[in-house]
Amino acid sequence: MAVRLTVNGRERTLEVENDTPLLWVVRDELGLKGTKFGCGMGLCGACTVHLNGQPVRSCSTPVEMAEGAEVVTIEGLAADGALHPLQRAWVEHGVPQCGYCQSGQIMSAAHLLQNNRSPSREDIVAAVSGNLCRCGTYSRIVAAVESVVESRADHSSQEEA
Amino acid sequence: MTLNRRDFLKVTVGASGGLVLSLSLPGCAGIQTGYDEKSGDWKPDAWLELTTDDKVYFTLARVEMGQGTYTGLTTLIAEELEVAPASIQPRFAPVAAEYRNPLYKLQLTGGSTSIATSWQPLRVAGASARIMLINAASSVWDVPPEECRAADGRVVHPDGSQSLSYGKLVELAAKQKVPGEPALKPRNEWKYIGKNRGRLDAEAKSTGAPIYGIDVELEGMVYAVVSRPPRYGARVRSFDDSATRKMPGVLDVFEIERGVAVVADKYWRARKAQDALTIEWDNSDALSLSNDQVFSSYHKAADEDPGESERSEGAYGDAVESAERLVDASYEQPYLAHATLEPMNATAWYRNNGIEVWAPTQAPDLGRIAAARVTDLSPDDVTIHTTFLGGGFGRRLTNDYIEEASAVAFKVGKPVKLIWSREEDTRHDLYRPAMLHRMQASVSGGQLTGWHHQIVGPQILDWYVRNAAPAQYPWAPKFLYNTLGRVGLMAEGIATPKDHSAIEGAIEYPYRVPNLDIRHTHTDPGVPVSWWRSVGFSHNGFAVETFMDELAYELGQDPYQFRRSLIDHEPRHLEVLDRAVRLSQWEDAAPEGRARGIALFRSFGTYVAQVVEASVEAGEIRVHKVVCAVDCGQVVNPDIVRDQIEGGVIFGLTAALYGDITFRDGQVQQSNFHDYPLMRHDQRPEVVVEIVESDEAPTGVGEPGVPPVIPALGNALFALTGKRQRRLPLKAQV
Repeated sequence: MAVRLTVNGRERTLEVENDTPLLWVVRDELGLKGTKFGCGMGLCGACTVHLNGQPVRSCSTPVEMAEGAEVVTIEGLAADGALHPLQRAWVEHGVPQCGYCQSGQIMSAAHLLQNNRSPSREDIVAAVSGNLCRCGTYSRIVAAVESVVESRADHSSQEEA
Repeated sequence: MTLNRRDFLKVTVGASGGLVLSLSLPGCAGIQTGYDEKSGDWKPDAWLELTTDDKVYFTLARVEMGQGTYTGLTTLIAEELEVAPASIQPRFAPVAAEYRNPLYKLQLTGGSTSIATSWQPLRVAGASARIMLINAASSVWDVPPEECRAADGRVVHPDGSQSLSYGKLVELAAKQKVPGEPALKPRNEWKYIGKNRGRLDAEAKSTGAPIYGIDVELEGMVYAVVSRPPRYGARVRSFDDSATRKMPGVLDVFEIERGVAVVADKYWRARKAQDALTIEWDNSDALSLSNDQVFSSYHKAADEDPGESERSEGAYGDAVESAERLVDASYEQPYLAHATLEPMNATAWYRNNGIEVWAPTQAPDLGRIAAARVTDLSPDDVTIHTTFLGGGFGRRLTNDYIEEASAVAFKVGKPVKLIWSREEDTRHDLYRPAMLHRMQASVSGGQLTGWHHQIVGPQILDWYVRNAAPAQYPWAPKFLYNTLGRVGLMAEGIATPKDHSAIEGAIEYPYRVPNLDIRHTHTDPGVPVSWWRSVGFSHNGFAVETFMDELAYELGQDPYQFRRSLIDHEPRHLEVLDRAVRLSQWEDAAPEGRARGIALFRSFGTYVAQVVEASVEAGEIRVHKVVCAVDCGQVVNPDIVRDQIEGGVIFGLTAALYGDITFRDGQVQQSNFHDYPLMRHDQRPEVVVEIVESDEAPTGVGEPGVPPVIPALGNALFALTGKRQRRLPLKAQV
């Protein structure tokens, strides 16, 4: 069947079976390899993308559920060639070890920051707890997200002043 | 170290078309390599290429799987070459004898050896190139070389008025005499070593760059999945592919050595078609055991065979005779899966009588053997392209996935990407062996007088040598592979290193006890096993440090003071132990409802002491805080040392709390992260890492964080509950 969806702002029409997981459509039909396959059951979060602004596990989301939807992947996070603030924080904090889970971690954190201007540490931990990291980079992930939250706070206090 | 110019310097034309200066280095006498340098069968460990257009390429002979070699090794070169690490372009090495790990005589990454074996040779390589570039510039300007200096990829004239870029000097530098023993920069002049923060690969890994094996994309590529027998060792008796072949996109279905392959134009189509396949397995040689049989067979073996003596001091028998009392304990530890987040995968393409393989592998030369074994090709016909690894932990030292992809590609004649599912990855792993430890101590006059440790379980080399032996002798014809595997085992300690996988961490027992008897009873239930982050240290650390804790309580001593009193002859042990105690405020009471446990353990040359603070809340073990004191000699990148130790803590706690691969009728019972869980964000403890300042040579950090945290947690739970747990994983209620 033909599926129509918008991925990272670009409209696409694809001939794929409707039960194909969105993950494989994004990776193999669209060549966006940043979204990762980890478990196929929505258990590890490596495949997290945004579907109409909500974080979903693309490995267990049939592409038919994305018909007409807006999909954002890790490749669509940077705007106008500039890294997303989370990506900059990830580099500054040296978060990734093997790095395989980090696209999913960043997508989960990005959703949180879109919807919560000043999340607490508990909010941050809750937002990323569905994303497994076998290398154990958890503390740096939280520190990197917190640094973005803090720089936002600095920015808004400057605006107020 | 004396360098032979012929071995050392090569002037060639590089891929860029420009003139290049390639430096390669023989093994360094300053490092205990454990191999004979005179034989000359190992040449350089690193290649440095400077081009006329000012690029610096550095060939990484070790793979990057998260442990930080990409950054750490590049930093060593950068420091002496006087360029910024970020300006160097690292690339992964092809298979060549030059890139073998000197400790193993194989091109593999493991054993926390990369920094330790590269520390000296890479700095010498960088310094040699720098001196030759300076000499070249001094001849251009006709000034003494010692008055010139190098900085940021340029040589600066003595009067500071002009400078020449390395690219402009390459051609002339290549004609300079190779310095015999270049002086390395003193520590106080280091710009990057010990200071550099962050990772060179962080941006690629934060933007979703296609750098992993699973991301490889080739024109006309098709996809394969393989159905493997549920029971290890079973073979295909027959299969019915009539339904599978009718499924959309299916290109072929055929048997390979390890199962039945389904090839389709798309991955998801291959997976769906696989579900329609019916296979009858021949189980006559298949594993049939269940978990309790593993441990009952271990206990039986331990009763019948005291095992080979691996270390003996004093007279343990006499200590037993004269002992006031004996303390006994036995510990059981389960099989563990590696669970790298990137599942096993490889892409292979057979054409023009050769096969190219793109794969995340820790051992590319064994990948060549694996591909050759299942095709009509020789290892020389196999090219391996190493990618970034989405986790290794020892799993990717075994190239079964390269073997499968190559077998399929050889038949299909198109580029083929093979991807394992998570379930396949969990069920067809080669596991950290289940182990039994029987401990006994003799006590007299309130003192520990004897220590007896009987380790019961398999050796890993038995499972690994099949591919490792041919890789060491790549000239050998293929029909000899199986023979080489057997010879490798028979000649253990001669043609192959002695297998320490069962005993490491037990035989180095560091405490001052007059009578020691440490033995290994070799028994193998037939479950495939392999190296798993920290290997033998992972189970021996638990046995040694739990028993030490039991003995402290037996003798009515504080677990810290007890250890301290027996290790005051080992200053580096003592330092990390004291630091961990200070940092954790061991002497003060733990917060209400919590308790602390301690462990001290050296592995891969690195000393680690850890204090764990834990509680049991709502029926679950909660780890609140882990304090680590680490002595790994000199530090190349303190940031990476910290994250490796912290990562090791999370990895060890995952094993301590959840790790349990079990068998029923020869089948693995676990499949995915719901029944083989990993520690998550919301379960993570606070981890504090303090690094001891040191002038000693650097040692590994990828693994040493793992072993002590497991007994430290068990010891904390004993302090909390008064109940000793002698079987892993640990439970909240016992």
